[in-house]
Amino acid sequence: MMCAPDAPACFDTRKPVDFVIVGSGASGGVLARELSQAGFDVVVLEQGPRRTARDFGHDEFKTMFGGELTGHPSWPDPQTFRRDEGETATAPGGGLPPALYARTVGGSSVHFSGNYWRMRPLDFKERSLLGPMEGTGFVDWPISYEELEPYYSKAEWEIGVSGTPGPFDPPRSKPYPLPPMPVKGSGVLLERGASAMGWHAQPAPVAILSQPYRGRPPCSHCGFCIGFGCEMNAKSSTLVTMIPEAEATGRCEVRPMSTVYRIVTGANGRVEEVAYLDAQGQQHAQKARAVVLAANGAETPRLLLMSESSAHPDGLGNGSGLVGKYLMGNGHSVIHGYFEHELNDWKSIQVTRIVHDFYETDPKRGFYGGGGMDGRPLVNAMPALHALTEAGSGPLRWGREYKRDVRSGFNRHMGILSSTTSVPLARNNISLDPNLKDAHGRPAIRMTYRDHDDDLAMMQFLQDRGQEILDAAGALRTWREPVGPQGFHAHLLGTCRMGDDPATSVVDRFHRSHEVPNLFICDGSSMVSSGRGQPTLTIQALAFRAAEHIAGFARRGEI
Amino acid sequence: MTRTTRPASRRDFIKDTGVLLGGAWLGLTPTALVAAAEAARELEAQGAPLSHIEPGDALTLGAVADQVWPPDDTAGGRELGAVHFMDFAAGGFMAGAWPMVREGIADLDRRSREAHEADFADLDFDTQTAVLAGVEDTPFFSIAHFLTLLGCFCLPEYGGNRDHQGWAQIGFDRRHAWLPPFGFYDANPGETS
Repeated sequence: MMCAPDAPACFDTRKPVDFVIVGSGASGGVLARELSQAGFDVVVLEQGPRRTARDFGHDEFKTMFGGELTGHPSWPDPQTFRRDEGETATAPGGGLPPALYARTVGGSSVHFSGNYWRMRPLDFKERSLLGPMEGTGFVDWPISYEELEPYYSKAEWEIGVSGTPGPFDPPRSKPYPLPPMPVKGSGVLLERGASAMGWHAQPAPVAILSQPYRGRPPCSHCGFCIGFGCEMNAKSSTLVTMIPEAEATGRCEVRPMSTVYRIVTGANGRVEEVAYLDAQGQQHAQKARAVVLAANGAETPRLLLMSESSAHPDGLGNGSGLVGKYLMGNGHSVIHGYFEHELNDWKSIQVTRIVHDFYETDPKRGFYGGGGMDGRPLVNAMPALHALTEAGSGPLRWGREYKRDVRSGFNRHMGILSSTTSVPLARNNISLDPNLKDAHGRPAIRMTYRDHDDDLAMMQFLQDRGQEILDAAGALRTWREPVGPQGFHAHLLGTCRMGDDPATSVVDRFHRSHEVPNLFICDGSSMVSSGRGQPTLTIQALAFRAAEHIAGFARRGEI
Repeated sequence: MTRTTRPASRRDFIKDTGVLLGGAWLGLTPTALVAAAEAARELEAQGAPLSHIEPGDALTLGAVADQVWPPDDTAGGRELGAVHFMDFAAGGFMAGAWPMVREGIADLDRRSREAHEADFADLDFDTQTAVLAGVEDTPFFSIAHFLTLLGCFCLPEYGGNRDHQGWAQIGFDRRHAWLPPFGFYDANPGETS
């Protein structure tokens, strides 16, 4: 493997490095920075290319329809989907893949909308608070909010977050590093409607800079945020925060265009090397003393299941049988409204106000769950998708009246997106498709998912509250996206859950595999419950905490 | 106040359209896209009308584009360059579906001749509307509709949205920086509409 002459570090694949990290996204970037700053040699394998701000623009066709960031960079890597295990999963022919994530250095932190919510103490112990839910994986986390809190604060300060605490926020040891972003029309109207209903809108915390921070400029409000990379470096992706700081140590090599296909274990049951394909499909293997999987809640279980061996016949580290199980995507429901005056909500970031009045489970509702609501343009921030939205719900609309509505609506639209809990269910999972493979023989990711009835009820409940907010705010016309079982997920959570009991979890409270001592897993897959949507901050707080423990194990010779 | 509950979501539409495309979207590589876009732009700059769509088909598709996005006090889909975008699509990400599109065009002209003794493009606007309404549930119309809108609103580099007129029609202004207030409500937070 040749490195560029100016590479900040360059490691020989045949000599073991301290750590190989698979994935450079929200968690992988944090782990790379923390472990290299702690003095360890780190190789980061990332299947996507290395892009910079200059590569990011406003090309809706390339980004939203061409899969610029979400497609595999070198060959098609199809996925399949089914609702229930009795069905044969099929590949959705185009459009959105069932597991939606970005393949680029920085991972999905490059293309996400930056919503950056903390979870609350109750999210970690809801089973104890509410009692059991039969037939589900509804359990407490092995760690508490209080234990994770210092790392929430650390993530907010190291990553760069704008916000201010709201009335329901959990205790925090440090304030936000940056003030909130300026409010948009959707935020003003969300707040107006919520106040009229007796609820409480609060400024949205976002991993986007409202002011200069650590050498990066503030947001220029260009509006191309959701699904796009930031052309200003104002979105606090790991691409522009953690990764450069990792490389500055001289001990971290990020190897893009490297698609991992197997974690190789030796006769002693320990991981010895990580096998991957380069952009041309040529095979390589990087030797390592320890491996950290941070590839996301779909790719991480896929890789473990692909790494089966005689010692691990059901997949690496899968003695519990839970690798890939308990997939949680958060529930979502959407309601749209048109207003009399122009919002121009396509400008600036997606979300500036949120409502968390319905965060907690309320037994009076008759079902488990909670969630949050936000005002935002959704994909109507983009011209073609706005036109398709007007056209796309129900029978296609076309003709003079349709054109009139699209023309008047672009500047007068806002949506309310509700995000909810997902009950962890073994029936919802990531597995290897038995029939479909990519060009290099890697089995396709197969997603099996049907939202729990309580999740659907919560999605509907919040959509109804969204209706009340839009009505109270004076919407001239509103319309709903029908609530129903979801077919794709950008939040990929729970598939290698953390726990103290090896029979009911995949990793321990320090993210170490219960079965393979030099294998760690830290990404959305580690989560035990789903939170109420917007999991990225929790994933990054977990990564800061995991890195501290993993570095300690390594220093003490305990790996 | 009016409320409408719609029976199917945008997501379904995109998913279903994706099925029609035979996976074309995800099979694209960014490099191939850029190359195709550059080729399309070059052809248009040279005055080469179209490179993948037959002239007769272009007339029909232009008329369909004007039905989907009609001319009013502003340009319709045809004038915005939707057919040039379709040409880019026919030579690239829609190549696999193009035989189906051609069958749809032939079917549309056949229906026009049977009912009105003229090709679709030669009918008057309202008659075209009536004929097109007869096929609006077909995959052909779904694709033509989809491509018309992409052609009106994607970057001019792909052949449509001529001189950014599509964006101007909906009030979108391409800039890389804005300052608050962004609209009426954040400029007047205390006022009700």
